[in-house]
Amino acid sequence: MSKKRKKTKKESSDVSRRDMLKMGGAAGAATILGPTMLTSWKAYASQPTTSSPPAEPVLCGATPPASPATTPFVDSLPIPFPAVPTILFPTPTKAANIAGGEAARADHQRWEEFSPDIFYYQEARAATHSFHRDLLPSYIWGFNGRYPASTVLNAYGLSTLVRFKNKLPAVTSSFGRNETTIHLHNGHTASESDGFAGDFFGPGLFKDNHYANAYAGIDAFGGIGDPREGMHTFWFHDHRAAFTANNNYLGMNGMYIVYDQKDPGHEFNTPGSLRLPNYYGLTDIPLILTDKRFCAAANGRNEMFQVVGSGAPGGDKWVVNGKIQPKLNVARRKYRFRILNTGPAKVWNLKLVGPTGTQAPWTIVAVDANFLRTPWTISGNTTALPTGDLQIHVASRYDVIVDFSQFQVGQSVYLREAAVQNVGVATPDPAPGLPIGNVLMRFDVVSNAIIPDTPAIPSTLGDLPTGILPPVVPDATFEWRFTLDNGQFHINGLPFDANRVDHVVMKGTMEEWSLRNDVLAGNWVHPVHIHFEEGRILERTTRLDPVNQPDVHTPVNLQQVQGVGLNPDEDGNNARRDVYPLPGQNTVKLRMKFRDFTGRYLIHCHNMNHEDNFMMVRWDIVDSIAELRQKREQIAQRRREAGLPVEDGLPKSRKETA
Amino acid sequence: MMMNRRNLFTNFAGDNPSAPKSTFTPHPASLGASVFTNALLRTHENKEVKFYDELIKGRQVIINLMYANCDSACPIITSKLVKVHEALKDRMGKDLFMYSITLKPEQDDPAALKKFAEMHGAANLPGWLFLTGDPYDIETIRYRLFRWDHIKFDLDPDVHASMLRIINDATNCWTMAIPQSSLYTILQHISWADPPKSLEERLEENKAIQEKINKEVKQYGYRKTT
Repeated sequence: MSKKRKKTKKESSDVSRRDMLKMGGAAGAATILGPTMLTSWKAYASQPTTSSPPAEPVLCGATPPASPATTPFVDSLPIPFPAVPTILFPTPTKAANIAGGEAARADHQRWEEFSPDIFYYQEARAATHSFHRDLLPSYIWGFNGRYPASTVLNAYGLSTLVRFKNKLPAVTSSFGRNETTIHLHNGHTASESDGFAGDFFGPGLFKDNHYANAYAGIDAFGGIGDPREGMHTFWFHDHRAAFTANNNYLGMNGMYIVYDQKDPGHEFNTPGSLRLPNYYGLTDIPLILTDKRFCAAANGRNEMFQVVGSGAPGGDKWVVNGKIQPKLNVARRKYRFRILNTGPAKVWNLKLVGPTGTQAPWTIVAVDANFLRTPWTISGNTTALPTGDLQIHVASRYDVIVDFSQFQVGQSVYLREAAVQNVGVATPDPAPGLPIGNVLMRFDVVSNAIIPDTPAIPSTLGDLPTGILPPVVPDATFEWRFTLDNGQFHINGLPFDANRVDHVVMKGTMEEWSLRNDVLAGNWVHPVHIHFEEGRILERTTRLDPVNQPDVHTPVNLQQVQGVGLNPDEDGNNARRDVYPLPGQNTVKLRMKFRDFTGRYLIHCHNMNHEDNFMMVRWDIVDSIAELRQKREQIAQRRREAGLPVEDGLPKSRKETA
Repeated sequence: MMMNRRNLFTNFAGDNPSAPKSTFTPHPASLGASVFTNALLRTHENKEVKFYDELIKGRQVIINLMYANCDSACPIITSKLVKVHEALKDRMGKDLFMYSITLKPEQDDPAALKKFAEMHGAANLPGWLFLTGDPYDIETIRYRLFRWDHIKFDLDPDVHASMLRIINDATNCWTMAIPQSSLYTILQHISWADPPKSLEERLEENKAIQEKINKEVKQYGYRKTT
């Protein structure tokens, strides 16, 4: 690339970034909400961060206890505070500041092009958190001592740097691992800032993750990339190899929302805005879901049950934004809930239940940070959704719109989970046919709309990127087979190894990947996550007789099982995803581009207990034919050494250029 | 929150762990014998040992499952472990130990284990024991140490037969490695359970990692960073 062209690109990038700032929502929202809210945000930010760490937990043995009783609906739903921008010292640098205590990494890519405009500080440390009024505080690991972490609110065009400092205890009694690496799920992020599972760092060190907050397609479109690639609901979480479930169970995750013209962070009639409910914390509310189990009260704590040497335990308490069975006051208008499943392993099956016990409608507008082309309203059970439940796998995000104007002031509405939790306090069914154990949280309709309601949800939410679906021919096709051999999870015959690359792609190309679940035991659904870019699902097939006819694939009867067929939330013509639920015997075929950055990335099962058992492998993006060939030869060589079929580790077909 | 070089070092002086211990002290949160059991096992030297008290308590250990006449995986795994032992021989028997437990105690008596160990040149390596015992005890140990909290797997004795369990009872850290991985990777995973390092040691390690990254970048010198 010539110097001259580079310069032009830089100029155009400046212009559009400035434009973005002018029109973008972050500024607008701050103007409107600023005067009152900023005061309290500031107060929050200035809380001392040097308070002495809490006493290490005394755990309650290896047998899962029944959690103590908790009275439903006594705590209000906490809204994670917006993260407060700050200044950082030492000043962030392109090369890792080794002398200053930064964790080792390659130089930031595109650092000058996207020199950071805004800086955040998230310090991982031990703290205590109260999950319910009836429980004593529990020992957690949280960013800035908070669970969930403060939410980073940002805008496309505003290049961001988040300094993650490791202040976890040098020695811990918890089952966590005091080394961390933070992944922004699913940012279009350069490898050195992507929280690669092997790039963890210990206490005392920090790592600057550079998030360009640019759309994918920077090379092709210039500026801040292709606006059709817009993604909005992200989350960041610990990704430490072999301990991701443990560290996330302890609390190391938070949300990251990026606004743009379409989704500007306010509800005014501005050009390009979809005008969805969009005031963070007021009409646009994160619902961060997890399940926990608690020990009996001891030493002034109700510790989270955990066993050193095990993955995260299954919980018997459903937790939303850090509280068990909270309540939220709402007005009679539309709200947007950004539902995030932080795992570690539980699948949520959710529906909205009205005061009379019947299912109330909600409309899905976005899946995994991507707006659907056409919104999907779920108002009851259908053949595609036999139970009427929205199924949310680990790490998936669903943005749903609920219109509370269908209810009257004084009525209550419930978020129902199909599985029953242990409440422990005898409570009559809050609505007919709705046992209290199924209720995740309660919405109390307390008033008519105060902030005027947004207009009807548009019937289309915009165009998806082109140039990826057939008849476009992919540069290469590749198959990822998830298997269980001798009790060890494998992908293409091998377990996770941070030092080994298992597939290599050329920067700027598009590939068609088949994800194939050959783990027959348990018939688990593996929520497969691919880092770096969003994919488009072409088809889903199943093998009806995987033992005798392992390679006979039949299209799934789309109408039978929710989450298995190509429902509107996964059909590549309507949706983009970064988590692909993969039930036993299923194969999902998807297409993905690999643009703008190079380096090491991951594909893994996002059931964190599986991921920690190494159902994860590394793939690389390179930008030279020499490196591509060299790494392909390494892959072949290692497979030969391991006695594995070489061809299973190489692309099935590829164009001459790939 | 603000950091400069000076307080980077002073702030963490307190983190500095004590000097290497001469006695093996378990971490206060270790569940000890209630998880590991104190089963009486026999070594390939026909010596009776209490599993937790004499083999695990306060130590860093690498444990694998095997049996003497297994033809496929076990010899490969054992020969890999010989390489691991060679690489870590300065620590073996001092603060790091290796235990190979038979999955078939009915047929593997100490003599059979000794023969297997000799075949691999592992019979006289410091800190490495081959263990047999009562089948019930062995099954309990397998379940407790290699379990996965999933009934479909945990009841199948073949499951996780290929895993290396790595435990440091002094820091209460459990992790694992896969024997099929490269020696480099296995050693890395073993180091995940090493005693906590001082900040100075971590910074030194960090420097070494950076040098490795720089070397890779140089090797692929065309990697675009702007």
